[in-house]
Amino acid sequence: MKRYDYLLVNKFLVCCIGLLISLQVQAQFWPEDLKVHGFLTQNFFHTSDNNVYGQSDDGISPGLTEIGLNLSYQPFKRLTLSAQGLYRRAGKVGGGVVRLDYGVADLNLFNYQNGRVGIRGGRIKIPFGLYNETRDVAFTNPTILLPQGIYFDRSRSLLVSADGGSLYADHRTEFGDFYFKFNLGMPLGDNEEIRSSILGPAAKGQIKASPAFATQLSYELNGGETVFAVSFMNLKLKYQPTVADFISAGNTTIRPLLFSAQYNGEKLGLTAEYQYRWNDYKGYVVIANTQFVTESWYIQGSYRFLPQVQGIVRYDTYSSDIEDRGGQRAARNGLPNHLAYAKDWMLGIRWDITPTLMLRTEYHRVHGTAWLAQSDNQDQSKTKQDWDLYALQISYRF
Amino acid sequence: MLQSLLSELKRFICLKTAVASFLIYVFIVPIANATEIVVNQSVPVREFSLNNIRAIFTMRQRFWPNGEQIKVFTLADQHSLHKSFSKNQLQMFPHQLRRVWDRIVFSGTGQAPVTLENEQEMIDKISTTPSAIGYLSRDPDNEKIRLFVSQ
Repeated sequence: MKRYDYLLVNKFLVCCIGLLISLQVQAQFWPEDLKVHGFLTQNFFHTSDNNVYGQSDDGISPGLTEIGLNLSYQPFKRLTLSAQGLYRRAGKVGGGVVRLDYGVADLNLFNYQNGRVGIRGGRIKIPFGLYNETRDVAFTNPTILLPQGIYFDRSRSLLVSADGGSLYADHRTEFGDFYFKFNLGMPLGDNEEIRSSILGPAAKGQIKASPAFATQLSYELNGGETVFAVSFMNLKLKYQPTVADFISAGNTTIRPLLFSAQYNGEKLGLTAEYQYRWNDYKGYVVIANTQFVTESWYIQGSYRFLPQVQGIVRYDTYSSDIEDRGGQRAARNGLPNHLAYAKDWMLGIRWDITPTLMLRTEYHRVHGTAWLAQSDNQDQSKTKQDWDLYALQISYRF
Repeated sequence: MLQSLLSELKRFICLKTAVASFLIYVFIVPIANATEIVVNQSVPVREFSLNNIRAIFTMRQRFWPNGEQIKVFTLADQHSLHKSFSKNQLQMFPHQLRRVWDRIVFSGTGQAPVTLENEQEMIDKISTTPSAIGYLSRDPDNEKIRLFVSQ
């Protein structure tokens, strides 16, 4: 019975959304200042080896469903309240739960002719790179799977949103516009995937995040035709072992620095992002105090053949330790060396059937297993180094 | 004599064609693509720069200098008037505007403009909503609506 629980949740959500739409249509019940938007996305995956979002190897996994509904209301001129509920069922990583994705009070402090300054409080999306703030909204993403070397899905709960505050400032000049954000808050990271990606599959204790900061400066030309951005985060995680744990308590600090560049032309789109991440492990008894650098980058090109049809190609590469690109350390610990890297070539096509309905498909040829979720691949020694991934997505928005 | 007359005639025809095509380019083409940015008569600003108008339609400039909130109205992304407005007035493509609006709507950092069905609805909304801004294919000759002029 439990397997089918998500179907009930889906139906419940569909009913809620339906009700909201019908209320919105009958405008007399709906305050004009209350804005409602949402999306429903269903993804299907098939892999030649290894599993993504459930059992995709030798089968088709419908394991990734995302449904979001957001409200925005402006009670006073300078105050806006917004919240988004997100239902997400992703293989065995995040079993179908509805959670508050963001819940923000936005206070506009002051405006001047060429900009504005404001603060936000509540549960806030983390600004990181070009896609993180809307990472679960298919329409805003270039591909079904975001470049996993940067936008990990397995440790996503550290990256999605944080409870705290944010300062933002916009400044427009004759030679381009500057946007700045500084967020301070408690990331929501507290799950098995993060633990296993940091300490390996054998750790059984609890990972707790400390308050962290995330900041981003972006520079846009011609209303976003060309975008440059720098993002930086400082994440601190504390490990609390269980009684029979072989790993002792310890601290991990993760500091990713990300550079982004994008060109959005009429037909041609070009995007590149480069991440340099410092990792620092301290205090764990069985793991020596260690520092290493993770590097990942991708380059992506898209072309709009017709106004509704877009083709896309991308190369994405990830090395978990730049001094051990071949994975010798993993091999010494009896794990496959290909856990240390992943190189992914992808090809995809997107069709916007209507402005609110989109269908797309993509193919990935992957060399390495660094970003595979542990919970979908319990026995890492059985994972394969070279594998294919096919994905299909249908998404509706309003 | 006849020959020179003929060549004169040819030159005249050529010139006429050139002038006609010039006239078509200067007058007809812009008319076909014309969009006028319009505001409700209550709006305290008379003219705009490209920078201002982009900031308003990307929902980043939210207030007029008198402190009133700007009410932004647009037509659907695929509407021909919306396309020519974004290209000619904002010098942006509709998909670039869509990218900006989606980012703010789905990250909880702002609201998108109100999308209207057609030009008639645009005339109605702009004329009845204080602090409103939108666009039309021509001056509607409505005393509640004023043209917004490029600086």
